[in-house]
Amino acid sequence: MDINKVRSDFPLLREGKTIYFDNACQSLRPQQVIDAISEYYRDYPACSGRSMHHLAVKVTQKCDEARKAVANFIGAKHKEEVIFTRNTTEGINLVAYSLGLKKGDVVITSDKEHNSNLIPWQVLKEKIGIVHKIIPSDSDGLLDMEQYDQALRDGATLVSMVFTSNLDGVSIPTEEVVKKAHQVGAKVMLDGAQAIPHQKIDVAKLDVDFLAFSGHKMLGPTGTGVLYGKRELLNKLEPFLVGGDTVSSSTYTSHEFLPIPEKFEAGLQDYAGIIGLGAAVRYLENVGFDTISHVEHELNSYITNELIKIDGLTIIGPADPTLRSGIVSFYLKGKDHHQIALMLDETAGICVRSGQHCVHSWFNSRNIPGSVRASLYFYNTMEEVESFVNNLKKVISVL
Amino acid sequence: MFCIIAFIVLGIISIFSASHRELAKEAFDCVFRRITFRPCTTGFKEKMKARLVGKLLNRSALAAKLFNRHFELLSWILFIATIASIFWTGKGLFNFYMYGSCNGLNKSGFCALDPKGENNKVSQTGGSCGTGEGDESKVTLSGVNLDLFPSKNIGAKDEVVLIGCYSCDYTRKAYPLVKQLISENPVNYTFAHYPVKEETLYLLPIGYCAYKQDQAKYWELNDRLFAGEKSDIARREFVDTILKDIGYDVDAINSCSTSPETNSAVVERRIELEKTNIYGTPIVFINGKGLVGPKPYRVYERILKGWRFW
Repeated sequence: MDINKVRSDFPLLREGKTIYFDNACQSLRPQQVIDAISEYYRDYPACSGRSMHHLAVKVTQKCDEARKAVANFIGAKHKEEVIFTRNTTEGINLVAYSLGLKKGDVVITSDKEHNSNLIPWQVLKEKIGIVHKIIPSDSDGLLDMEQYDQALRDGATLVSMVFTSNLDGVSIPTEEVVKKAHQVGAKVMLDGAQAIPHQKIDVAKLDVDFLAFSGHKMLGPTGTGVLYGKRELLNKLEPFLVGGDTVSSSTYTSHEFLPIPEKFEAGLQDYAGIIGLGAAVRYLENVGFDTISHVEHELNSYITNELIKIDGLTIIGPADPTLRSGIVSFYLKGKDHHQIALMLDETAGICVRSGQHCVHSWFNSRNIPGSVRASLYFYNTMEEVESFVNNLKKVISVL
Repeated sequence: MFCIIAFIVLGIISIFSASHRELAKEAFDCVFRRITFRPCTTGFKEKMKARLVGKLLNRSALAAKLFNRHFELLSWILFIATIASIFWTGKGLFNFYMYGSCNGLNKSGFCALDPKGENNKVSQTGGSCGTGEGDESKVTLSGVNLDLFPSKNIGAKDEVVLIGCYSCDYTRKAYPLVKQLISENPVNYTFAHYPVKEETLYLLPIGYCAYKQDQAKYWELNDRLFAGEKSDIARREFVDTILKDIGYDVDAINSCSTSPETNSAVVERRIELEKTNIYGTPIVFINGKGLVGPKPYRVYERILKGWRFW
């Protein structure tokens, strides 16, 4: 990969004033994605799948291409298995409210879930009485498989887990998790928000039932996301949101839903976003996941090796950086994480996340106020991580 | 404490800078929470502290470290300094409104609202101009026999005394204001010419004789002398012309002004004026309170009428 060429695709990186290490929140966008969005608004700003004129036909065609691109990207057997959403949260909620869960049904999650994959189950527990079981992680942040096995033996309806945690970058053993869940008849949904942008995932091979992810963490526009679901399962689900463009016909007293994916895509969609997401997928395929993994591991290894030398600094998750994707989340006893993040920004324009990263439950259960999280992507460089480490040391020295 | 100081500072900056208004609002929110006994949970202080320490860190690690360590103490110092500054600013504004000088009645020194000190300037004895070197606090009417000097509306409750020189710039500046004051208010008004410039010495006997000859016309003479060109005051012919215009018997006045009796009266009056500890003109006494230098009209009026802010 020609890093200079890659960086020249990203307008913010061309300026060279900002070191962007908040990729777990959202990635930057290459010019190709920005151009695709602009092209929609400039050349064919019309509705998809409704009107018959040439602009509408063009949008319909572009959106269909994006759907195919996403389907191929994740290894879906059928393009209809790709439902466009606004984000991962919407995808998870769609399943939570469409799956027909009833009182006593058991939903299993990990103890490192983003609020997106925690709150829906808490609400359903309160509303209809589902049983929500949480599988703990060990001190390295790895899922306790013994407890998982036990929970499955006790009975489960749905396993809904974060594929790669945005807290520490650790991935669960998905193949094993899916296989074991299926053995007891449970369905599996994965929160792929932090996984899809960083590793090759083949949903067919993985045999996962549902996979939700966001466009904005994988070079795509904000407000875009995808819910993958096996076709036979999606066909059985009741739509979560209903209304415009979800039905083929209606009378004053009845309606007939369209087939998937339309029945789940209510109302006018974010066509520019969908087309931009298609462009993002094509860009990522060109870069390749081998390159992405290699860059992330190399940079993460450097940061990790430097950070472990700092007194009082604790890295959340395993010491081995290869197990933490592109994420380094850390805290210093007695030091304010927000202050560290703000000072990194102020001193060197380094953008990192500070706080509890929407995984409040994990921090609160351990009485840890929060952490600083540096999350890397393939367009980051060794010079940037060196600057990060040097400036972090400088900041810590004055606190 | 930081929230309060930040609110004050950002509030002032945001008058001129729209980009600081959101921060000022955040600071206000923090202050409001504190005064309503609620915790400030917005993280405003931490955010600002980090930004400030971060900026310092790029210049000096030691300064950043000290700033970070003593942030609360510095906030207190800045707070006290700001409160003191606001107090002194308020006091300065009050003094300027009340006395025409930020420093107080008859007090010289820099005043941003009167940077050249125009309201305190006097023409000193000997003819030089500027802020007088006398002691303003010693200026008094105590023991001065005002009956010796031209007066009108005698018996009025309030009393205004103007001691000035016809050719003094600052008396000429104050004179119309005093005239307005006495025309708008029933006061016992006394005028005394104190010749800080030698070329106006000859006006002492002329004034004495003119007042003696016709008291009513004397005030017109005064007006004409102050209204005329300063350079003309020193010319005897100019004054004679005025006297004649007004209707005075010029020959009689000239004869009177050279008499020994007039000379001793003039000396007596000068001695009497020295009792005021005068060191320059103008001095306006309003009900005994001496105002050195030409003050704004509101100052004269306020002292005459008492406390008024409208």
